[in-house]
Amino acid sequence: MLGLVPSASLFGIDGHAVTVEVHISSGLPSFTVVGSPDASCREARDRVRAALLSSGCEWPLQRVTVNLAPPTVRKVGPGLDLAIAVAMLVASGQITQQAVGDRSFLGELGLDGAVRPVAGTLCLTDALGTGALVLPVPSAVEAGLVGDRILHPVRNLAEVVACLEGADPWPVPSPIEVAPPPPPTDDLADVRGQPVARFALEVAAAGGHHLLLLGPPGAGKTMLAARLPGVLPPLSDGEALQTTRVHSAAGLALPTGGLIRIPPFRAPHHGASAVALVGGGTALLRPGEISAAHNGVLFLDELAEFPPRVLDALRQPLEEGAVRVARAVASVSLPARFLLVAAMNPCPCGYGSRPGGCRCTDSARARYARRLSGPLLDRFDLRVEVTRPSVEDLLGHQPGESSASVARRVAEVRDLAVRRGVRSNSELPARRLDEVAPLSHDATRLLTDVLRSGRLSARGLHRVRRVARTIADLSGAPHEIGAAHVATALGLRVDPALDQPAPVELAG
Amino acid sequence: MTATMSAAGSAALLAGLPGIGPNRLAELLADDDPEAVWQLVVAGRVDDPHAEAWAAVARAADPAAEAARYAEAEVRVLTRADAAYPAVLAADLAPPGVLFARGELSALETPRVAIVGTRRCTGTGAGFARELGRELATAGVGVVSGLALGIDGAAHRGVLDAAGVSWAAPIGVVGCGLDVPYPARHRPLWDAVGERGVLLSEAPLGARPAPWRFPARNRIIAALADLVVVVESHAAGGSLLTVTEAIGRGIEVLAVPGSVRNPAAAGTNQLLAEGCHPVTAADDILVALGMVPGGRRSAAERRPAPDDDGRRVLEAFDWEPATLEQLVLRTGLALGVLALSVQQLLDAGWIMAQGSWYERVPSVP
Repeated sequence: MLGLVPSASLFGIDGHAVTVEVHISSGLPSFTVVGSPDASCREARDRVRAALLSSGCEWPLQRVTVNLAPPTVRKVGPGLDLAIAVAMLVASGQITQQAVGDRSFLGELGLDGAVRPVAGTLCLTDALGTGALVLPVPSAVEAGLVGDRILHPVRNLAEVVACLEGADPWPVPSPIEVAPPPPPTDDLADVRGQPVARFALEVAAAGGHHLLLLGPPGAGKTMLAARLPGVLPPLSDGEALQTTRVHSAAGLALPTGGLIRIPPFRAPHHGASAVALVGGGTALLRPGEISAAHNGVLFLDELAEFPPRVLDALRQPLEEGAVRVARAVASVSLPARFLLVAAMNPCPCGYGSRPGGCRCTDSARARYARRLSGPLLDRFDLRVEVTRPSVEDLLGHQPGESSASVARRVAEVRDLAVRRGVRSNSELPARRLDEVAPLSHDATRLLTDVLRSGRLSARGLHRVRRVARTIADLSGAPHEIGAAHVATALGLRVDPALDQPAPVELAG
Repeated sequence: MTATMSAAGSAALLAGLPGIGPNRLAELLADDDPEAVWQLVVAGRVDDPHAEAWAAVARAADPAAEAARYAEAEVRVLTRADAAYPAVLAADLAPPGVLFARGELSALETPRVAIVGTRRCTGTGAGFARELGRELATAGVGVVSGLALGIDGAAHRGVLDAAGVSWAAPIGVVGCGLDVPYPARHRPLWDAVGERGVLLSEAPLGARPAPWRFPARNRIIAALADLVVVVESHAAGGSLLTVTEAIGRGIEVLAVPGSVRNPAAAGTNQLLAEGCHPVTAADDILVALGMVPGGRRSAAERRPAPDDDGRRVLEAFDWEPATLEQLVLRTGLALGVLALSVQQLLDAGWIMAQGSWYERVPSVP
């Protein structure tokens, strides 16, 4: 006897349609799962058996073979439990194949027959045909994002059996309650003083420039970074769906409405492994933190504490906006376009950048400096020192400008970039800089002087021009870039004095 | 093989015996010539707990080959018996038993001032050390220093800046072998001092820098100097060891005053509080040496005068390092205006950048 039930399995952030085939024949009682299952998939046997028995069904004491087709796709996790249980019921003659029809089934089974949600429902729903989908109740909102699908949210296996037998009608999703407005994130108004750091944050948001915050402990680096999502424009429909897919596949909690509209803010701890950061793992190829930060902000606090190998793994995704994770079984490309914000102390004691202020030994400083590779440091268009705000600023001053007001300027600058044909100014190709970011006479002279004095490398030049474009846009978008814009861009791009004291060059 | 060559080889080998320090070496060499002492060591007949270990090492060594190695490296090996051994060291409390020299020992025949200070200095401190080095060398005063990072190196760079006709050559005293430039990034400076002045060490060729060698080196710096000037020192810095050595020898110590907020000036300010004379210009040192200053005012200001914004920015520094953010808050200028002004001041040499901090530059070289 044979039972066929469609379902889907997740790999990377892509769902793959899977047909669960169950064959029951006479022979010694056994249960075999074939078709590239992983360990958690093979464990389905015990869950399905207990769930069937506690839902009042029979467990055939015969030879049971479960095939997950196509066998070329690796099946991971417990999401096929419900489909296997239904296929078992068909194969053992407890319900008919006609009753199943073209319905697909998704869900993990509890021993009591409860149907539980699985990670990646959005991606899985996408991969399934247009037939109705039976799935756990909590996943209905997420699956609903795909649109034009008939969904039957269920609570437990007994409910599914009752519907399949025709005893009950198939349930339909209850209307989604309107999502409440997102709770206000941390507001920039809380940041007192620190005009340069605030401005750097605004430039980073407006132009999509990666930002490195340097400074002693307690200067407010983390506080600043956490306010970045609040000034970024909300995600467009396309971006929101992409980001939601990644979060769904990674099994991260989704907001009430299902769709992620606020740019995500991911702040992995520096103990994170390379796999946790860029994604992978042996079986699932799960998206990592950088993909979870897709279309949002990746914040690396204590940058120098991350293992150098982990940081260097970021370089390719920073260039390409996606990360290609290859394993022996397969390789997947995961989206990873994010704004990188990092914070670090200038040296182990934290006071090293102020001339004469460091308490570290030479070798400790050298070791610290070696942890950051030049190429990675080079990716930061904006590098600013955050100093502790003065007591007067903390207590006396007016609150700073609010996030909402900064976000309006940021959105305008982003619009200008879109009109130039790029998502943000940081993506302006070098060959188009003369056309979209022409320099005034004074600005050209300033850059000539700075290049000649060696304070700026040829490679840094393009990056400074892009940042200057963003600064000019923020100050009212004159077509031509002025000397003050270039000077500000230079001022926001300091060389971290990791290897001080600055050697006084030997004359002659 | 001449007798002197063999003596040089023996002396060099004695200085390289395992576990031997400056005191023990000087004791061994107190009366006898190096060859005789060497023979005793080979025979294991010296009165020392290491005698057996030394004898084992010594039997495998060849004084003649050692002497050839030093000749090849153009390093002179001097003991107190040599006529060329600097008289000022011979008369010292703790003269080096064996002194290794590269370059011209005649560089020692001038008034000498030691300029010392912290490795972890401010740009202002390094700039002032360089200025002192340049002006003292021009005035014919030999600058003694340790070629370390920071103040030491900056002082000798100043001396080399002034290289010319009427000029006192630099005197470098180092703590490791003369073929082991340390710190490695000072190799060019090291070579320049060796070529134009003299490099001294009591460590044999190949000796790696070891922590105990630096205080010993500081004692030689103090012994060579007529005056010791501390430019910047942290509250418990290594340069204060040089000060202790100088005071023990009755050599006057001068200190450069620094900002009370500069941790790299805590040690020097403490010295001033304890009664050292302050140094605010090279002339102060010349007066302390009993020389007549004057006639050489620093070069006329060649920097283009800053504009109004530039002056506001310079005033906002108050001679302390400042970040862009601090300057914005102090001047009240718009960020764009301020950033432009900072770039112009950098170009003109009024300020310098160290990482994200800017400092005022007192005067141009």
